[in-house]
Amino acid sequence: MVENSTSNIQNANLTADEIGQPIVKIEHLGKSFGDHIVLKDIDFSVCKGDVTCVIGPSGSGKSTLLRCINLFEKPTVGRILFHGEDVTAARKPNLLRQKVGMVFQSFNLFNNLNVLHNCTLGPRKVFKLSKADAEQLAIKHLKTVGMDAFVNAKPRQLSGGQKQRVAIARALCMNPEVLLFDEPTSALDPEMVGEVLAAMKTLAENGLTMIVVTHEMSFAREVANHVVFMDGGVIVEEGTPQQIFENPQEERTKLFLSRN
Amino acid sequence: MWNILSEYYIDILIGVGYTMLVALIGTVVGLVIGVLIGVYRTIPDPKSKAALVFKKIGDYILTAYVEIFRGTPMMVQAMVIFWGFAELNGGRTLNVTVSGLIIVSINTGAYMAEIVRGGIISIDKGQFEGAHALGLTHTQTMFNVVLPQALRNILPSVSNEFIINIKDTSVLNVIGFTELFFVAKDIVTQTYKTFPTYLLVAIVYFILTFGISMLLRFVERKMDGSKNYKVLGSQNLDAESYAREARNG
Ligand SMILES: Nc1ncnc2c1ncn2[C@@H]1O[C@H](COP(=O)(O)OP(=O)(O)OP(=O)(O)O)[C@@H](O)[C@H]1O
Ligand SMILES: [Mg+2]
Repeated sequence: MVENSTSNIQNANLTADEIGQPIVKIEHLGKSFGDHIVLKDIDFSVCKGDVTCVIGPSGSGKSTLLRCINLFEKPTVGRILFHGEDVTAARKPNLLRQKVGMVFQSFNLFNNLNVLHNCTLGPRKVFKLSKADAEQLAIKHLKTVGMDAFVNAKPRQLSGGQKQRVAIARALCMNPEVLLFDEPTSALDPEMVGEVLAAMKTLAENGLTMIVVTHEMSFAREVANHVVFMDGGVIVEEGTPQQIFENPQEERTKLFLSRN
Repeated sequence: MWNILSEYYIDILIGVGYTMLVALIGTVVGLVIGVLIGVYRTIPDPKSKAALVFKKIGDYILTAYVEIFRGTPMMVQAMVIFWGFAELNGGRTLNVTVSGLIIVSINTGAYMAEIVRGGIISIDKGQFEGAHALGLTHTQTMFNVVLPQALRNILPSVSNEFIINIKDTSVLNVIGFTELFFVAKDIVTQTYKTFPTYLLVAIVYFILTFGISMLLRFVERKMDGSKNYKVLGSQNLDAESYAREARNG
């Protein structure tokens, strides 16, 4: 169920304190794989209703940052706070993941299940919803992304755009407080990008809190209320879409935007 | 050959029955053992030191089991287990049928453990991540997402094990298990017709393995389901009709 929040993109200029505590707060986060330092001293937070777009060149650590937030990667230093609670070393990361959803570049739909059961598995196993309730929930969210007519299709029978819309519906069925998107349209043929971005825009308009790693600058410009530019494992610059796209302060940001 | 068949067909059928019984149960139990070991081996390393030590010890024991049972002939295993049991129980042997079932099961389990592990690691990492991202636990992920796919992928290898078992149960004659080969030896001692008896038995073995092979291929096709799906029309369906369509599709 998408939150019926009023704090959405219109409230772009409110700071964290004005809305209340951030849902996710990242403090001095660093991550290295062996000697390879991928993230350095990352600080940022996300409040209810925020649509944060993370942009930056390939290899800048965007995916790694996202994967730290839902504890797929263990940060080397720093903390991740969820509603003010330190979850960095949570013993049961699955409890956090029930509230922080993720949509992948490669969809990761369950190949053994049809569209409906891809969406009902989480609610049934995690929230112990009855079959009927889970199916009702699934159909509601499949309707949101326009995939309700395909309930009995297997993932391999769908186009990339259709798969991604189902993956979004699957994530929505968990009623996440924050939904993470890692380049959700990068694996798609150009003609399918639009349908997925349109579905994501609908979610943003409904007030869903989202962090979106994307190369789709027009989406970031239009839908985000906060844009983070990363390069070389650090946040180089962040601000409203107007600030970042119309009036970037840093050379690296200007260079990146001129190329994209 | 036909005389032997008409005279001894009941004995042959009993032999076929025992052969198929031990091959079927051995394969199924072996598969269960293989799945349990496969799942155990793919559990992510626990965080606490003590749990990690226990897991490592378990790993060594399982590796020893797999290597020993793959590295020795089943005929020898049968003798060691059957007479080992008698040794420990003052000469009383274990029931031959039970012994046969145990031997074939744990022998098959050793092979299945590797087959299942291969099946699990061949599943795309994205399937695990997709499930973990929903908040499913490792066990939930395994049983709902990974194993169904892994089992489908390893079905040809499992069928192969079943067929090997049909043939290899013949070694159980060394402990006096009345499977097909044992019956054949029995017939030969009564009739002295060595060649026709074994030719007949060879044909029977082939019918069994070929039949099973066909049957399992049919099962594979069934499991893959239909190639098409129905796109539901624009009529406004209620939740129940969607669910019904999803079940039928
Ligand atoms: N598991 C890993 N082990 C070692 N190095 C890794 C691992 N994952 C990522 N890296 C490295 O971390 C760096 C950042 O990777 P990341 O995937 O976060 O970048 P990205 O900004 O998402 O890039 P892209 O736009 O191409 O997706 C890369 O140099 C990558 O090689
Ligand atoms: Mg990436």
